[in-house]
Amino acid sequence: MNKLFAHHRLVSALLMFACGLFSLSVAAKPQLPDNLQWLTNDEDPVFASDKAIKGGTIHDWLPSFPLTLRTVGPDSNGSFRPNIHGNQMQLVNTHPDTGKLIPGLATHWAYGDDQKTMYFKLNPQARWSDGKPVTPEDFAFTLDFMRSKEIVAPWYNNFFTTEVDKVIIFDDHTLAISSTKPRPQDELHVYTSENTRPIPRHFYKSLKGFVKKYNWKVVPNTGPYQISKIKKGKSITFKRKKDWWAADLKYYKNRFNVDKVKFTVIRDRNLAWEYFRKGKLDVFDLTLPLYWHEKARGDIFDKGYVHKLWFYTESPQASQGIWLNQDNEILKDKNVRLGIAHAFNIGKVNEQVLRGDYVLKNSISSGFGDFTNKDIRARKFDLAKADEYFSKAGWGQRGPDGIRVKDGKRLSLTTTYGYEAHTPRLVVLKEEFKRAGVEIKLRKLDGAASFKSVREKKHDIWWGALIGGRWPQYWGQFHSDNAHKPQTNNFTNTDDPQMDRLIGAFKSSTNTEQRVQLAHQIQQLIHDQSAWIAGLDVPYVRNAYWRWVRFPEVPGTRLLGSRAPYVFDYNGAFDVSDGGQLWIDPEIKKETLAARKQGKAFAPVTRIDTTYKVE
Amino acid sequence: MALFTLNPLTRKKVNRFKSIRRGYYSFIIFTVLVLLSCVAEMLVNSRALVVHYNGEWFFPTYGAVIPGKKLGLDYDYETNYRDLEAKFEQEKDTGNFVILPPIPYNAFENDLRDGEYPPFPPSLETRHYLGTDTIGRDVAARLIYGFRTAIFFSLILLFVSYLIGVSIGAAMGYFGGLFDLLFQRIIEIWSNIPFLYVIMIVSSIMIPNFFTLIAIILVFGWIQMTWYMRTVTYKEKAREYVMAAKALGASNKRVIFNHILPNTVSIIVTFIPFSIANGIIALTSLDYLGFGLPPPTPSWGELLSQGSNNLESLWIVSSVIVAMTVVLVMVTFIGEAIREAFDPKKHTTYE
Repeated sequence: MNKLFAHHRLVSALLMFACGLFSLSVAAKPQLPDNLQWLTNDEDPVFASDKAIKGGTIHDWLPSFPLTLRTVGPDSNGSFRPNIHGNQMQLVNTHPDTGKLIPGLATHWAYGDDQKTMYFKLNPQARWSDGKPVTPEDFAFTLDFMRSKEIVAPWYNNFFTTEVDKVIIFDDHTLAISSTKPRPQDELHVYTSENTRPIPRHFYKSLKGFVKKYNWKVVPNTGPYQISKIKKGKSITFKRKKDWWAADLKYYKNRFNVDKVKFTVIRDRNLAWEYFRKGKLDVFDLTLPLYWHEKARGDIFDKGYVHKLWFYTESPQASQGIWLNQDNEILKDKNVRLGIAHAFNIGKVNEQVLRGDYVLKNSISSGFGDFTNKDIRARKFDLAKADEYFSKAGWGQRGPDGIRVKDGKRLSLTTTYGYEAHTPRLVVLKEEFKRAGVEIKLRKLDGAASFKSVREKKHDIWWGALIGGRWPQYWGQFHSDNAHKPQTNNFTNTDDPQMDRLIGAFKSSTNTEQRVQLAHQIQQLIHDQSAWIAGLDVPYVRNAYWRWVRFPEVPGTRLLGSRAPYVFDYNGAFDVSDGGQLWIDPEIKKETLAARKQGKAFAPVTRIDTTYKVE
Repeated sequence: MALFTLNPLTRKKVNRFKSIRRGYYSFIIFTVLVLLSCVAEMLVNSRALVVHYNGEWFFPTYGAVIPGKKLGLDYDYETNYRDLEAKFEQEKDTGNFVILPPIPYNAFENDLRDGEYPPFPPSLETRHYLGTDTIGRDVAARLIYGFRTAIFFSLILLFVSYLIGVSIGAAMGYFGGLFDLLFQRIIEIWSNIPFLYVIMIVSSIMIPNFFTLIAIILVFGWIQMTWYMRTVTYKEKAREYVMAAKALGASNKRVIFNHILPNTVSIIVTFIPFSIANGIIALTSLDYLGFGLPPPTPSWGELLSQGSNNLESLWIVSSVIVAMTVVLVMVTFIGEAIREAFDPKKHTTYE
């Protein structure tokens, strides 16, 4: 479950190819339309605490040293990239609680009538880390940069030609960015702001030999931190900018409090955990059940030196579940699929193996707010019902080994998956399926190989998930355009005229209300067809931190982790769009270290914050 | 021994072997273990040995699944005999009873409970004598079935790799010349291919099963024996009895297999136990790394990796380490004893 998935999904979602490849990014002397309605937002609540204290260092760890500091090109798609991206601001940001737009590099924004173009007024204060002002030229350069063959990033080359159309410069602080096709107003900023972050034109003299030349160059950025020290193979340190231009803006105040964030390479998770227990790391991710329940015990927890936090979020969830290939002889039959849905005992896995930590999924699009069809309830494990459906499909008889048979054929299916840690779950599911008379063979492949295999539709059943964007997407996975052919994400080979009609309407509609309606219908249809069967959601982050690390009243935000639902990296100190609320209290740190020496205890703390839990 | 007569030389070797106590007893214990593992279904199984229900007798161990309905339960899937036993004990005076194997669990089922999470520690009450693993499977059951897999894996591997290695090695030594030279170079090149990488690549694109895994290891495993066989055949070839056989008009095949091979058997035999140990280790380490037999096959390597990831649950890792140590030490003892028995010099000391 890595970024690769999202990547592929977007690739396959690209349908139209813009005719004007490499069209001129900058038009001559354009005029600003006069009917523009400039918008801004200073009414939403702040999500930082005014009790925050500046100073200190957060010590964090990396499992491996990044292969490059570039954010595009070969080897750049690693887990370290979000740390660099997180310090590159966008024109507008999404408020992590309300989901509305708030100012970023731009103070004001406006929507064009064509539903493709967004207009922005740059904040005149906006500065690169080298002190140069941010100009519209930098955005125009983003397009040139991303379309260049020199960066060796075909995905970006493609995205910035087929999805992002052009940048129009009006004056030193006004610009417009347009998408190639009309978009719903709520989603337009993804193409015009979120993905089109500025790239400093003055920094790149020439892109020739980019991949090698810029491997370890620290590129000027606009966010609160900049890389200050690199020890190759050992550590990377980010330092807070003393005079960050946005430090006093409403939504950025009292955030980004620690002076330094130091990432040390520790190659083994168990070892990193020992570092944390010694106090050499300040925060540690505890999302895995084993860590939260078993490992996070002992003196430092009992004596209250280390606190535990379980924070529920409401962010778009991955479409985790099992995907049944409808081109398979057995799975073609809807009754078999319904039988399988009733024989899929994911509840038992959750309750008896995963300690009930996960939340059972109902709709394929859970965590999408209004877009989620909350009336859908996943089918429950029920052997009687499973038997009824299997019998209807002609699989009523059981063979000598207890597996159902029909015309001499056994009800035996192979499940493909690509994640070693999921073996325990599948092993339990397999035994439960056996009770229903279904044999499930497990086929564990390496992550990339398993994804390749299911994209080639060589599977019966795929246990897996796709990580989506902020809005549900269905075309790639359920439209007949992508059925019965390799290299697409229609893992279920869904080929249904009604589904096509709904997805077509969903894709072309620019009216949010209508899209919500259509999304509900599509989710219902997916549920009815039962080719995708709901698995588990992980709508929370969990971590442990030494008690000198402090958080605001509500220690996170509603949409926290929406960009990385499966990676769980809690960019506590960091990400300019929603992170940076924590701080380090030097007094408490002194007190804790002294207490630890004397063996003095504090009250143990386990915080479970359900502010944003969806019931 | 009275049934067939051994030649005096062999009898001497057998007696010598018997006189090496630790090797001899290891051999007996090991053989018993292997034989017992062949009928593991009767010792470690969730299926009952005998069920007496309403005057009818059932022997579920081998054979078809007996659905719950047939034994008075209300479901279609396989009877849970542990529950059945409890049920029969409650309804007294019906004359119904169940006899379960000593370890009433199979290697695949998850014995999960409400409100508690695996791994569960060893307990006499639940009859998990070595506890359970992280998904509630009985460690003893997985250990025993894992032993069976490992031992037959290495026996088959041994047989096939010796067949190939011995034939090629003997041919190299016997024919010598260009044939020998050519094969030496081929083997040198072949043995430089990183074996582990090949396995990793193969098992990431396909699921290895028992026999494909043997095949993969075999591709590189036959090499070792060729060197020894080559040398020893060179030596034997120069002896008079070979010349005599040739003079009588024996074919090459006959000379190699009927005359030379019996005289090199001591070399082959002394290597066997160590090759068995190597086979077990190879399978275990591949399973440990996740490139071995696919889940949920019971295997020592898988237990070892679970154990090392869950050091808090000491019973997992200690069971498998003790089992491995005992088996490998026994095999090594046997190996030493055989080597000594075949050694023409009576007094040899090992360091």
